[in-house]
Order: sequence, then structure tokens, then C-alpha cells
Amino acid sequence: MTEILAPGDVVLATSAATKTDAVREAGAVLVRAGAVEPAYVDAMLERERSMSTYMGNYLAIPHGTEEAKGTITRSALCLVRYDEPVDWDGEPVRVVVGIAGVGDEHLEILSRIALVFADMEQVQRVLDAPTAAELYAVLQQVNEE
Amino acid sequence: MIMPNLPAFLAWGLITTLFISVGWWPNGILGGFGNADVMSWQGAATALAQAEDGTTFRQYVGLVGPMITYLLPLLIANAGGRVVYGERGAVVASIVAVGMITGSTIPMFLGAMIVGPLSAWVMKKIDALWEGKIRAGFEMLVNMFAAGIAGAAMAVIAFFGFAPLITRVSEWLGDGVGWLADNGLLPVMSIIVEPAKVLFLNNAIGNGALVPLGAQQVAETGKSLLFLVEANPGPGLGILLAYTFFGIGMARSSAPGAAIIQFFGGIHEVYFPFVLMKPALIIAAIAGGATGVATNAAFGSGLRGPAAPGSIFAVYATTARGSFLGVTLSVVLSFLVTFLIAAVILRASRKRDLESGGGDLQAAIAQTEANKGKSSSALGALAGAAGATSASATDPVRPVRSIVFACDAGMGSSAMGASILRDKLKKAGRTDVTVVNRAVATLDDSADLVITHRELTDRARGHAPTARHVSVENFLSSPVYDDIVRELAADSEGAKA
Repeated sequence: MTEILAPGDVVLATSAATKTDAVREAGAVLVRAGAVEPAYVDAMLERERSMSTYMGNYLAIPHGTEEAKGTITRSALCLVRYDEPVDWDGEPVRVVVGIAGVGDEHLEILSRIALVFADMEQVQRVLDAPTAAELYAVLQQVNEE
Repeated sequence: MIMPNLPAFLAWGLITTLFISVGWWPNGILGGFGNADVMSWQGAATALAQAEDGTTFRQYVGLVGPMITYLLPLLIANAGGRVVYGERGAVVASIVAVGMITGSTIPMFLGAMIVGPLSAWVMKKIDALWEGKIRAGFEMLVNMFAAGIAGAAMAVIAFFGFAPLITRVSEWLGDGVGWLADNGLLPVMSIIVEPAKVLFLNNAIGNGALVPLGAQQVAETGKSLLFLVEANPGPGLGILLAYTFFGIGMARSSAPGAAIIQFFGGIHEVYFPFVLMKPALIIAAIAGGATGVATNAAFGSGLRGPAAPGSIFAVYATTARGSFLGVTLSVVLSFLVTFLIAAVILRASRKRDLESGGGDLQAAIAQTEANKGKSSSALGALAGAAGATSASATDPVRPVRSIVFACDAGMGSSAMGASILRDKLKKAGRTDVTVVNRAVATLDDSADLVITHRELTDRARGHAPTARHVSVENFLSSPVYDDIVRELAADSEGAKA
């Protein structure tokens, strides 16, 4: 799990003014982690314009387009949690999971996140986690159940 | 196989009526008989042809030949393959049909009708061999190459194996007609000629057997009724007008136009699909054809040359002096006999046809969709819960063994949805159902159930026309998942009971 979603790539933030800012923020984490080239962030925004990546249950999963896969260095995820809901095309988003996926390596951790967010009790734990480390622990727990 | 392609037959009929050398508006470029070295249009496809004096020249290929040789058999094979095995079957059938077409010198309609569904069926069996045994991530690769290799192999088999066989069959039919003519069993000829015609062997029979024999008789007596055995437009008109008055659906509405192309344009091919849709009508065609032959025999009437194409005008243009009464009666009587018998056949099966949608593929699909509400209430409830559509274009009782989640890029939402449903199915004890995710663009028709975001469902349906489609708005907590799990859990209990 650490290879794809490193503890350092789970970030707690207060708020984002717009959806675009939130996507840029997630993209910046992926760039900083050395997973994608800066051009991938533009592809994430482009993807968002054609179709929202809002998933429901306060979660959005911005990611690039099929064509932008060449700008991905390695598969990686990042997670940014906001204290204030971000307006995601009218939907409230608290957690933004940025995805850079080339092969199938990221699917395992992504499916773990999916299972967490399918369960409102678990979602509440993610939203309530006081620190990034404890949030990370919530995601890890799903694995062990 | 035939019905969805009717527009292509009509288009070909229209082009042929107009542009061939004996058409209404002969055009050497479109009709494919012009000499490209003489005519001015450059850049069009040409092929070497031999002139009467033995020299070769570049002749335009035109529209008429390629359409009947390639387009129509390919469409028939494609539709036949699709019925058996969806989009994948259609593709394989088309590949194999090319082997059939190029392996022979006669139009391969009969061959396409045989190898189309057959090759799709073989592909289905091949796929079943390793279904569910492919390592995740390799499905696309294996699926693509399996169909490519199987299609290539079957195309070669069709070329060397089936095409010569079908060509031989048409030669036998020609020989049979020749034998009947030699033995004075003239009206009996219709029993061979009419079925051979609707299998598009009309030219093989006409030019291969009847025209040479007829020419011989003309040399002896100045006329021959053999020219009218195949070219008599009466039976075809009878079939088409019977459809015009007693048919249903698309067949009824397209029959009058086809009748004009057939009777005046002389392009008999446009009525063949109407017989193939309802094979019992061949009885009407045979009876009408035999009536025409018997009439000419009784009146001693005939043509002084081949009527090509078999238009009423071409028939009169070649009618021997003193034969007008006999020829006219042969056309009229053969029309009347065919029309009456065809009308009885169409009337008798009309009720059943209306119920089943007229043997019309598209209607059958629509009918299946309409029936679906009754036969799969679980799915109906499921669609309601999702607040979106779900429709099936195939057998509503197709059991769900594989589920595909599809999204735009195939890297995010579909993967999450697949994980959640997989988890739910695991908890319900249905680990035998596979759940995978992929991009919509790479979707194929092998899945039983396809789940997509509402906005992508139409696109997904285009890629997987025979699968059942379900839309979701929320990939994370859609009520659809629990409905699917409930339905599948009920299925497995039903199977055990």
C-alpha cells in the first residue's frame, strides 16, 4: 500500500475555493511525489470538464485522460481531505483522491478506498480523523478486516 | 439475416436499374462497363477486361459489380453472425465471408448465409473454451487474437473448402435445368429455377444454362421460351404485390418500391429477400413460374434473345413476332398465380407474424425489449431504483456470469464500483460471477451485464449491444448493487432447487 499511496501523500487541508483549485492541489501532490509530469494536472482538469469525477459520499477522484497516460511516471494515489466541503458541480466533496494509474497496480488500494467510502460509518471515520496518520490508519484497516 | 439489409438491396437494385449498359440511364463509369482509356473520368478503380476483338482494355469497376459481389454477401454474413454471437460474431462472420466471396466467381449469397452464422457459432464455442480462465489484464489481448486467428483460419477454410462446394452446387443446378429442357419437362424446370433464383444463382442459371440452350433453339426455330423461364418478371411482381397488400411492417412498406425496380427495372434480386424472409413463398414463385412456362409452351410463344435485365420492357423488346399474346399471357398468368398463392400464405401466417414482429430482426429486438418488463421484474425494479434506464437487446433470461463496470478512462470510478460489487457478491456467496472494470472504449460484447455512469450508458450500449445495461449515478452507494446481488442470489437458489 505504501508504494502507491504513501503516508506523506495523505494531506489535511482547510478549504479550497473551487473545484479547479482542489484538482490542482491533488495534482500538485502527485507531481511532488514524482508520480506524474506537470502536464498530467492539465489532463486532470480537462477530464473534469468533460465529466465530473464526483463519486458520491463526499468523494471525488480526479484523474487524467486516456491520452495523458504517457505523462505518468508511476502509478500513484494521493488523498486530500478538506475541513470545508468543496463545491464539485453542486455536490459537496470533502475527500479528493487524485489518481495516476498506468497499469493495474493502483487498483488494489483504490478498491480499498472504494470499500471504505461505500460504508457511511467508515466515511465518517475518514472525515473525523484528527490527523493524517490516523486517516491513513482507517484506510489500512479495511485491508485487515 | 436479410431484413436489416433490405435498404442495401434496394440501393443496389436502383443503381443497377439506372446505370448498367441496358439500364435507363447507362453510365459506363458507374455501371462498370466503360473503357477507362476512352472515357474522361480519371482516378476511379479499373480492372483489365477483354474486348470482343480479344484485346484488353482498362474497364471501370463501377458500383454494380462490387456491391453485389462484396457488399451484399458481407452484409448478410455480418447480420447472420450478429444474430448468433453479437458484434464479435458479426466481425468474424464478415472475415470468413471474404474467403467465401473471393474463393468463387459467382455471387456468394448462399455461401454467406451458411458461413456467416456458422463461423460466429464456431467463435462462440472457441471463446467458451477459456472463458473465465484468462489472467486479469490479458482478456483484451486474448479476445482480439483469438477472433483474429480464428477468423483468418476460417476464411482460408471457406476459400478452399466451402466456396468450391457452393460453386459446384450452382453448376449442378444449371446442369439439372439443361437436362429438364432436353427432356421436354419444361414447367418442372421452375422447381429448380425459382429456388435457385432466390439464392442469387439466377445469373448462373440464366446465363449458364438457359441462354445457351435458348440461343440454340433460336437458331433452329427463331424463338425460344427458355429465355423467359428465369427472366419472366411475373412471379417476382406477384410476391412483391402480395407483400404490398398482405405483408406487415417494414417488408410491407418497402415492397411497392421494390416492385417498380423489379418489374420495370428488371432487377429481380430485390424480391429475393422477400422470399428468403418467408421461405414458404417459394411455392408461390414455383407455381407462377411453371404457369408462365406452360403458357408459353401452349401458345408456342417465346423470345428471340435473352431479356436482360428481366424487365417487362426488355421482355417485349425481344418478343418474337407473333408471340405477343402468349408472352403477355405468360407474364400476366404467372403474376396472378404467384400473387394468389403468396397472398394465401401471407394471410395464413399474418397473425403469428404480427405477434412475433414479422420475422423482422429489428422488430424482434424491439419485441424482446418490450417483453423484458414482464419477464425480468427484478431488472425493472433495478432500473427504477437507479432512476435511469436499463434495457436489454437480447434474450432476457440470459444468466449473468460476467459483469463489467465501464467508465471513461477505466482507471478510477469503474474500478471502485467493481470493487464494491465484487465485495457484495462475495458476501452473498456468488464468487462464480466475475466483475471487472475497463474503459468504455475497450468494452466488447462478451459481458452479460454492463454497468456504467448514466451519461456513458448509450456509448456502452453501442460497444456491447447484446449485453444488459444498467446505469448508475453514484458508483459508491448505488441501490442498483443490492438489487443485482439480490437477483443473483435468487438465481443461484433457483438453480439449486
